Amino acid sequence: MAVAVRVDAVSEPVQATLWSDAWRRLRRNRLALAAAIYLILLVGVAILAIFYTPYRMSATGIAPDYAPPSLAHWLGADNLGRDQLSRLMIGAQVSLVVGVGTQLLVLAVGVPIGLLAGYYRGWLDQVVTFVINVFYGVPDLLVALILVFLLGPSLANIIIAIVVTRWMDMARLVRGQTLALREREFIEAGRASGAKPMKMLFGHIMPNALGPIIVQATFGVPSAILFEAFLSFLGAGVQQPTPSWGSMAKDGVDAIQFAPHMVIAPAIVLSLTLMAFNFLGDGLRDALDPRSRR
Amino acid sequence: MPTPILQVKGLRTEFLTDGGIVRAVDDVTFDLYPGETLGIVGESGSGKSVTALSLLRLVPDPGRVVGGQVLFRNEDLLQISEDDIRQIRGRDIAMIFQDPQSSLNPVLKTGFQIDEAMLAHGTSMAEARARTIELLKKVRIPAAESRVKDFPHQLSGGMRQRAMIAMGLANTPSILIADEPTTALDVTVQAQILELLADLNRELGTAIVMITHNMGVVAGLCTRVIVMYAGQIVEEGPVEQIFDNPQHPYTWSLLKSIPRVDALRHERLRSIEGIAPDLLHPPKGCRFHPRCPFRVEKCFTDEPRLEEIAPNQKAACWVTMERARREMGADELVDISPGAGSGVRRGELR
Repeated sequence: MAVAVRVDAVSEPVQATLWSDAWRRLRRNRLALAAAIYLILLVGVAILAIFYTPYRMSATGIAPDYAPPSLAHWLGADNLGRDQLSRLMIGAQVSLVVGVGTQLLVLAVGVPIGLLAGYYRGWLDQVVTFVINVFYGVPDLLVALILVFLLGPSLANIIIAIVVTRWMDMARLVRGQTLALREREFIEAGRASGAKPMKMLFGHIMPNALGPIIVQATFGVPSAILFEAFLSFLGAGVQQPTPSWGSMAKDGVDAIQFAPHMVIAPAIVLSLTLMAFNFLGDGLRDALDPRSRR
Repeated sequence: MPTPILQVKGLRTEFLTDGGIVRAVDDVTFDLYPGETLGIVGESGSGKSVTALSLLRLVPDPGRVVGGQVLFRNEDLLQISEDDIRQIRGRDIAMIFQDPQSSLNPVLKTGFQIDEAMLAHGTSMAEARARTIELLKKVRIPAAESRVKDFPHQLSGGMRQRAMIAMGLANTPSILIADEPTTALDVTVQAQILELLADLNRELGTAIVMITHNMGVVAGLCTRVIVMYAGQIVEEGPVEQIFDNPQHPYTWSLLKSIPRVDALRHERLRSIEGIAPDLLHPPKGCRFHPRCPFRVEKCFTDEPRLEEIAPNQKAACWVTMERARREMGADELVDISPGAGSGVRRGELR
């Protein structure tokens, strides 16, 4: 006797995709969530600073030099009597642009190089590996300083200098991921179905490596921000009057004996931001790592 | 006799390893006719998968096709440009693989992957999606409209293999190469997949090359069979003929090693003694001789050629089962250890 089964009556299972799964796990990570909220606020402040700061960040003498925090100037004033809070807000723009900008460029450089080297192997891979090792061998601060002095200390040039010294991590990560992924059967199946090489690289291999790539990029942001702050601290960063957290900290260190508020504010914001990016990166790693998946 | 759709002539594929050259496919010649189902059987390492991969130039490093011809529509697939062979892959000759779990990209939606098989060959997005749903219905995936949005891990093993088959059929290829498509599936699902392939072969006229180590799969699906051993074809012929009257002792041994429900209780299941030869140092003479119960002295020294020994049936053997039955009492044979029936022992020849 035949039993008719109504296929359409079977209820559809709840869709659980890689990304929704990761998001669910990220939400459970309080620290990462707090970091994400802090960073969203920071981005909000940086965007706000495009349209509004309490005072003009470059206006000197609007408060007495080295004025301590007050109701009019919440974070006090610096050595030229400029409003610290306004300068910190603009500094957030600089830091975020440098941090995110470098990572976007690092992605644009490192991902294709890693994919090509890992997929085609052979002489291309040998050349890429050699170049990566050479770049690792050169002291990054020295190279960045030389580049900034050669190109001139503009925001764009600072980003370029950081990318030149920091692209290798991403290229190496993607190369390693690609080497492992190219042996998987679905790559063979993709080739057997006539997919073009670029389709294989960016349509099949890259999506599988996206988790580690995102984590790497997230960790790269604070490292770039710190690098910029350090360059600015050394005087090779963003030039006056544009403030950077690094140059503000340097001005503050000079006056640390009698105006400690000048160094404390940028130092705290910088530390919080670096920590937030690192916690978020950690959270993303846990959320995207298939081995910790339940 | 119709004209073959695919002619393989003297195909040789080698792997360059640290220990030397491994000749994984050694002088393989066969024809494939339109709409037929051809089985290629053999043990692990017999070169059947590498043969299939060689046809589409998909042999992984450090493998290399070093000789022969693969003629398809008057073109030698081994000579045409990389771009041209890519056009043929998936459009004219499609391939499905052993493990549907790992042959589908885990991070892409199943339907999208089937779309892609068509997009790679110039079908438009909208057309592809409509055809994907149609294909999924054809391979009998229930609720195809909603299944296209599923990721591979949301499908069962059998459904994944059906999706793979749908992908293989996306461009209505004239040849479908199936590399052990049922090995990773459980028995009931295996049967369904084989039935599906048989139906599709009948309906669409797609020629199927079935690569398997399972004689039962061949019996269920194929009309013609090629038996491979150590990189060479040892026997070839129509399935009924080969099953009823195998001529190569290796084929005979393979058939003896199939468990049967109707076997007499005292009959023991026979495994083939010895291990598959090391292809770095293949045995001299006939490659099967170290494991062959019916070998004669000639087998140690001279390599037998593939010769027609019955209508449509070829075998590469100095003895052949007919002679083994007649002269060596193969059917009553109890001892099937190497060299048992022949009276030749390896030691005696040295």
